[in-house]
Amino acid sequence: MRPWVGLAYGPGMRQLVVSNPGLVDYIEVPFEQLRHTPEVAAIQETIPLILHCASLSLAGFLPPSDATIEAVAAEAARTGTPWIGEHLAFFSAEGLDEHGATSTSLTYTVCPQLSEETVERVAENLVRLRPHFRMPLILENSPQYFAIPGSTMNMVDFIRAVARRADNGLLLDLSHFLVTSLNTGVDALEEIARMPLERVVEVHISGLNRQSGIVWDDHATPASPAVFDLLERVLRSARPRAITFEYNWSATFPRATLLEHLSRARRMFAAA
Amino acid sequence: MNASRVHAVLAAGLQDPLLVVRWEEDPQHLLAYGIDPSTVDLIALRKFAGLTAKVRHNGLRHSLPLTFRLLNVAGLEIEVFSAYAAFCAGHGGGYAPTTEERTRNLIAFLDEWLDRGCREHVLLWDLIRHEDALARLAKTPPPRETPVARRLTTSSVLRVCGQLELYEMGSDPRAAGEILRDTRPVLSRIPFGAFRFGYWRPEATDELRIVDLDEFAIAALSLVDGARSVADLSAALAGRRRPSRRFLSLLAQLGEAGMLGT
Repeated sequence: MRPWVGLAYGPGMRQLVVSNPGLVDYIEVPFEQLRHTPEVAAIQETIPLILHCASLSLAGFLPPSDATIEAVAAEAARTGTPWIGEHLAFFSAEGLDEHGATSTSLTYTVCPQLSEETVERVAENLVRLRPHFRMPLILENSPQYFAIPGSTMNMVDFIRAVARRADNGLLLDLSHFLVTSLNTGVDALEEIARMPLERVVEVHISGLNRQSGIVWDDHATPASPAVFDLLERVLRSARPRAITFEYNWSATFPRATLLEHLSRARRMFAAA
Repeated sequence: MNASRVHAVLAAGLQDPLLVVRWEEDPQHLLAYGIDPSTVDLIALRKFAGLTAKVRHNGLRHSLPLTFRLLNVAGLEIEVFSAYAAFCAGHGGGYAPTTEERTRNLIAFLDEWLDRGCREHVLLWDLIRHEDALARLAKTPPPRETPVARRLTTSSVLRVCGQLELYEMGSDPRAAGEILRDTRPVLSRIPFGAFRFGYWRPEATDELRIVDLDEFAIAALSLVDGARSVADLSAALAGRRRPSRRFLSLLAQLGEAGMLGT
């Protein structure tokens, strides 16, 4: 089957896909966006959707509410997404005593402690969550910006352990992967070879950006050549079903670059 | 270290960067949560809070594209937004619901926070005001037409025709914009100096103009309020009600340009 090439939903994407039929095969839409601005779903009349999610806190110790799980399941069913990409991360945690709050909820996901304890927790969370969904959940590697206290393994070892323990598919974000490699001082090409690439269902690509001494994920800048080197390495041993370009933070993202990167991905898929 | 506890500390610090500042001042606080302070990179945690604040302001990129480009090129993104995240946490947390309010709040923060002795900060301050002025004036509905002054007398009461905002800047944001559009912008090529601009939306048009002004013109225009007469303006500027020839000539020029009416 020909792999799909898609774009993450963002400013200007509706206009782009309407005026360029066939340019991409799908749009990836965050569940949170559909939940808060349901009118975004209208784009499905033009192009298939793949659902992305940051609300299940798969590597967290506080479960999402039943209402959130039901809402994700409802959107997944409504969009007909073939899978749900969810972050291997947490977005909520116990509150600290001095704050008097029982929990802290963020609006974004955070890299978890990379440890056996978290691996087990992810596996338990997946066992609990899977029955709610008719399609598979696939796990997206987090970007790591600093050492997480108590970690006993590096990112690749953590992903390998989770994938083995939970027998799960992966969403390999190559920019997150490169960000993590650069911030933790490992060789990205050597590390990618240790990944369980046969489990990769979808690939994410975006830019990255070194600021204030740390390399950050950046959806407003184009992917660097190093990200495409990683994609080439992945395609040597894996056949992901989809590749999503996350160029969705800025309406002024250079259109020529976006088009070039889409066609470059198709060429790389064809040559692989 | 217990993973759940580690997550709790990270989440609390990201939600309230002032908490991280407290932990930096006294790392022993972390011990109470069962966290070894030597294992937590608190500076990186504050910077990560800055990244999340930056992402929460992506909606501003549409009206402030060059400002965000400058933040990126000058390496200021994380520095600015981590300081802003801490500032907002100290003021109740959260961000305004609309893009316009978020822009206004960010500009107000920068006005207090920026170091006017730092070249990149000067560029940022000028560029964000430039783009914000253009964005806001573009949204302002064309106002009613005001008769342009034909012949000025000392008793003529002047008003600005259209919408006018006056700015004094340390750089020319138009030149900065040109350079920032390069693939590899060289910020040192942006000329610095004393620049004064009127951002003007003339009446009954959709046109926007940036008018170069001198010190005298910007001082005079800043006093035009639709209530003061030419004599009042002269008194406020020069200390005498009888206007000088130079002042009358300036007002006539601004009137001929359509910027001032009676």
